[in-house]
Amino acid sequence: MTRLAIITTVATLLLGLGSAFAHDKFRIIGTIVRYEKSTLAVRNREGKTLSVRVDKQTAINRDNKKVDATELKAGQSVVVDAYGDTEDDSLAIEIRLVPPIAAR
Amino acid sequence: MTFADAHRGGVPRAGGGPSTRALAKATALAFVGAMIVLVTVVLPAEYGVDPLGTGRALGLSALSAVAAVAPVPPPQGDTLAPTQIGQVALYPGEYKFDAREIVLGPYEYAEFKYHLEKGATMLFSWTASGDLMHDFHGDPDGAPSSAAESYDRQPRRRADGSFIAPFSGIHGWFWENPGAGTITIRLTTAGFYTSAHQFRYDGTRQSRAVRALETIAPATEQEHSQ
Repeated sequence: MTRLAIITTVATLLLGLGSAFAHDKFRIIGTIVRYEKSTLAVRNREGKTLSVRVDKQTAINRDNKKVDATELKAGQSVVVDAYGDTEDDSLAIEIRLVPPIAAR
Repeated sequence: MTFADAHRGGVPRAGGGPSTRALAKATALAFVGAMIVLVTVVLPAEYGVDPLGTGRALGLSALSAVAAVAPVPPPQGDTLAPTQIGQVALYPGEYKFDAREIVLGPYEYAEFKYHLEKGATMLFSWTASGDLMHDFHGDPDGAPSSAAESYDRQPRRRADGSFIAPFSGIHGWFWENPGAGTITIRLTTAGFYTSAHQFRYDGTRQSRAVRALETIAPATEQEHSQ
């Protein structure tokens, strides 16, 4: 029973590891629509709204200085670097607060 | 008898030397002999000119014939990998060329890479309309992204150069627009690559067609004469 548990655990870890390597890097450039429940909704320059998760590891910066998550306000222009399976299912690694970006 | 007399009259000179007439006769005979050898031997053997048929009769005409040399076949192979012969690298196919214009909006980045076999050569020129972050690098075939190798990360607005792939894989440029403006990059390459790939900041990857040499219009005779 113990052996089965170990095999299952290792297999799960390996699958998780493979999944982690399968993740792609994305950059989302746009304007914050809302930030609630650790999820940031950003409308990109094409007008599409994308959601990205934010956790304690996410670095939030303005002019290369760390700022608090309370700075994530609707209307703020951001550049979000994230990892995930798709552009709309990703975890933010870094969020940069930048001056207003013109729409296309 | 004076020296002038001897010179005019053909009388042997004092001291026993040949007379002028004898010298002239010998010279004429030598010239005729040389002409005979020239026409019967030298011209047929060296230039294939055989007016008397002596070259053919003596078997000398074959000497002037250009030996038919069988051409060496080009290197064979499924990949565009070089075969080094001294200072020359030969490939089993033609090189390709490509020209691109890549526009980076505010804070956008893009990568443009070509697949080259180990040792294959590429020439490149690119210019950017603004300051950007740049990394010329390569990713080995079948390796994780962490295996990427950087060749040049100096800040540049243009680069003109040549490149020999250190390993088989995709090799090219990462450009990032660090500001709120728009930057246009113009890239021109030629080389023994087989495919091109563009990666965008939004995670999309697209294969791009490269152009074969036959798509280049040859210069006309009129252009040559201008």
